[in-house]
Amino acid sequence: MRLVSTTTRRRFLSLAGAGIAAALAPGAGRAHDGPHRVEVGISAFAFTPRRVTIRAGDTVVWTNRDLAPHTATADEAGWETDRLDRGQSAAITFATPGRHAYFCSFHPMMTGEVVVEPT
Amino acid sequence: MKPTLSALALAGLLALPAAAADKMNDLEIAHTAYTAGQIDIRYAHLALAISENAAVREFAETMIRDHSAVNAAAGALIAELNVTPQDNALSQALATGAADKRAELVALSGHAFDCAYATNELGYHQVVNETVAEKFIPWTTVEPLTELLREALVTFRVHEGHAEHMVAGLKCGS
Ligand SMILES: [Cu+2]
Repeated sequence: MRLVSTTTRRRFLSLAGAGIAAALAPGAGRAHDGPHRVEVGISAFAFTPRRVTIRAGDTVVWTNRDLAPHTATADEAGWETDRLDRGQSAAITFATPGRHAYFCSFHPMMTGEVVVEPT
Repeated sequence: MKPTLSALALAGLLALPAAAADKMNDLEIAHTAYTAGQIDIRYAHLALAISENAAVREFAETMIRDHSAVNAAAGALIAELNVTPQDNALSQALATGAADKRAELVALSGHAFDCAYATNELGYHQVVNETVAEKFIPWTTVEPLTELLREALVTFRVHEGHAEHMVAGLKCGS
């Protein structure tokens, strides 16, 4: 798994409602009993890693490294990031266990998956 | 050359590799790369004004979004380096070819327009990508410019693949 540096992050999106809790506090959770944050890079028109497995309550942070803008958008309605320009990040916290397939709404051949396991 | 590309669709494009035979400097390359992006954005606006095909309109929106982002990055680099890109024969050939192509496209509508636009997008990205990969990237001497071209090429190659699908989906024949 390639972890993307968070130092250039400019923006977080905190999405409320429909299965999405508020973003967790910075530095939270190193042990399995606390929420985690998992980084997904977007570069060369691909989500890296393409699939991440987290636990309910964990947060996924997408960071775009491409010149072209991208999004992470759920196949089935429920969640989506804003447009991410280069260097921008968005965080989404997953409360509901299950497999969440997603794609880029600008380049739909770009696909990824968030697997949420029960706590 | 792909058989789907008619000689007509490529008229105006063929000037590109010929004019690019002479090695260009960094400022000329920056000018031409920027111009090529602006041309594609203009084609896309024409497509949004004329086409009623969902796939064509989606492609055009992607071209506007992505080429605007690439050119914004190019503009930022130019400002950072405090240089002025140089107009040149290749930029002029591209602009002339594009004006001719727009005149041809604007006279069309419906499926004929969609096919002409899509085929031109495929041919345009093929020629531009080849020029960027084989000429501009090796020729540039300013590292941030070379890096920007490399990153831009990643995007343009995705567009070329997308254009190929669009052409195939439209079933334009030959
Ligand atoms: Cu994308």
